[in-house]
Amino acid sequence: MQVFLQTLVGGLSLGAVYALVALGFALVYRTMGLVNFAHADVLMIGAYVASTFTMSEHLPFAVAVIAAIVITGLIGLVIERMLRPLEGKDFDLMLIGTIGFGIVLEALATLIWGATGRAVPSPVSSGPLHFLGASIPTYDLVVVGIAVAAMVALTLFLERTRHGIAMQAVAMDYDAASAAGINVGRSNAIAFAIGAGLAALAGALVGPLLYVSPSMGGTIGVDGFAAAILGGFGSIPGAVIGGVVMGLLSSFSAGHFHGYSDLVTFIVFAALVMIRPTGVFGERTVSRA
Amino acid sequence: MRTTRTTLAVASAVLCLAAASACSAPSDKNKSSSGSDSSAPIKIAVVDAQSGENSALGAWEYKGAKLAVDEWNAKGGVDGRKIQLHLFDDKGDPTTGTNIASKLASQGYTAMIGTAESGVTVAMEPTLQSARIPNITSGQSPQIIASKDPFVFLNGPTSTTYDATLAKYVIDTKGLKKVAMISNNGSYGKGEHDAFLAELKKRGLSPTTDQVVTTSQIDFSAALTTIKKTNPQVVFIGSEEVEAGLIVKQARSLGITAPFAGAAPQGTPVYISTAGGTHADGTIVSSPYLSNDANAQTKAFATAYKAAYQQTAELHGAKAYDGTSIVLTALKNSHGATGKKLADAIRATRYDGLLGDFSFDDTGVGIFATKIGVIKGGQLTAAAS
Repeated sequence: MQVFLQTLVGGLSLGAVYALVALGFALVYRTMGLVNFAHADVLMIGAYVASTFTMSEHLPFAVAVIAAIVITGLIGLVIERMLRPLEGKDFDLMLIGTIGFGIVLEALATLIWGATGRAVPSPVSSGPLHFLGASIPTYDLVVVGIAVAAMVALTLFLERTRHGIAMQAVAMDYDAASAAGINVGRSNAIAFAIGAGLAALAGALVGPLLYVSPSMGGTIGVDGFAAAILGGFGSIPGAVIGGVVMGLLSSFSAGHFHGYSDLVTFIVFAALVMIRPTGVFGERTVSRA
Repeated sequence: MRTTRTTLAVASAVLCLAAASACSAPSDKNKSSSGSDSSAPIKIAVVDAQSGENSALGAWEYKGAKLAVDEWNAKGGVDGRKIQLHLFDDKGDPTTGTNIASKLASQGYTAMIGTAESGVTVAMEPTLQSARIPNITSGQSPQIIASKDPFVFLNGPTSTTYDATLAKYVIDTKGLKKVAMISNNGSYGKGEHDAFLAELKKRGLSPTTDQVVTTSQIDFSAALTTIKKTNPQVVFIGSEEVEAGLIVKQARSLGITAPFAGAAPQGTPVYISTAGGTHADGTIVSSPYLSNDANAQTKAFATAYKAAYQQTAELHGAKAYDGTSIVLTALKNSHGATGKKLADAIRATRYDGLLGDFSFDDTGVGIFATKIGVIKGGQLTAAAS
């Protein structure tokens, strides 16, 4: 029971991070029909920026996180601006463009911060909480709390604000939205910026849990991407559920299958996707290709 | 206008990719020299991770190797021939490593220093063996020497030595019999796992639990909770710096207070900073190089290292310095021999180094002892026996 609970706690905090990553993937896909392969590297930049502000400038963690979101949001805008001429024209080239940006970001991080990476101390100093024999690291609660808040804020933005509703309209019908006077370019730019901001938030949160290095996007990016697919690519609640499922899946398979856990995780993932190719929420509404 | 924009976008995408590949390209500029010319510079390659999670190891190793080469070049090189050191980034990836091995074979490299990773070393062995390029690795997995490749040498002990010393101290000296194990399934981790488990069995003990994690795992809650339940007196850890640090960090946050015990990675600043200074305290480390203050030789090395890089010297730099010095000594003794002759000369070299007295056996191992250190106040210090 203790092992089960502890694994659940570990899986949930990991899942919260995956959910944020998946949300970023989903948002950009939902509005542009594009998989942003630079997403995981934007996460890495976010982690570096946040760690730089906390470790070198000694700013409070919250300020560092906001700074990371703003800076990567700008990177998101730059990526969107560069890809905009291809919107609705050459989809494959847009995909390759995002891969290229990812590689450039990794190279840039190596140039700025070096290849070695850094350990980020936990911003919360209090000890773990104890619950039914399981220890819950305080920082894990912070991660889950912030992730949930971000998800609620994003949902409210999409459902209740003019920009959010416009973005949804663009997602549903590009041409109709355009004809109705919605600025599609701006809508896409906002999507990219918010997506990048979410990645930065995930990166900043995961920094103290892991080790920040130029290649850190790799594992988290793949799991986050899988989470987005599992939830139903483009679906916002799907991304959240997919993230949590991926987090739990990798934690529990690590507990039961030890050295073969990655294998088991992705076999289960493949099986789930075979049973339900469109994911849990199955919203493959966007297809601009 | 549209066409221009599209062209610009295409060009920028291509440029992005090109810029990235340029950034990761290894330094390999001088292709003209060759080992056959008796006055040409001698080309030696350093192959190590310069990017990725294990790049700290690669950076240290390159610094140690370069220091040795710079010192030899300052004294006139080998028989008047300068030594050229070229760095290749294997990214800690065996496939990249094998590509580099083919490159070294085709570009006339005399010898190779590296890699710091057992898995990459094992992957590169067949190519280097058929190209007859002697290589001296910082890897320590017994798997490296299992093939009895006459061209591969270790600049430190194998996991078997590390873990025999560790088990002797932890179990025999300290009397800690309840040992839990956690190791990863990579080449290094598996070597450590097997070597330490063999030591336990030798003493009629079995681990309270034997947890294996993957090299890419980031959440260790399940394994650590199982370990916590068995209430061990000490936890053996067989994993590289960063992962080991994360394991310890998470273990402490789950309330595991038992000390950790492991080999060389657990004595490094990366392990200590990743775990967090106070979390790493008490870690028992088996290492052939505990301190820069061990003797006059290590002090001189540390001073030169500090002067060259404004950084404090540590184990991996020292290992690579020893390994490079051995290769250069063998080159001098054999008057610039290559291939099998150079390998034989390396095997015949007796070298009193920073890590101890090197005397190579048939398997390529030259040093058979480590010392025990304990981390106190975020620093590795020699253990009181």
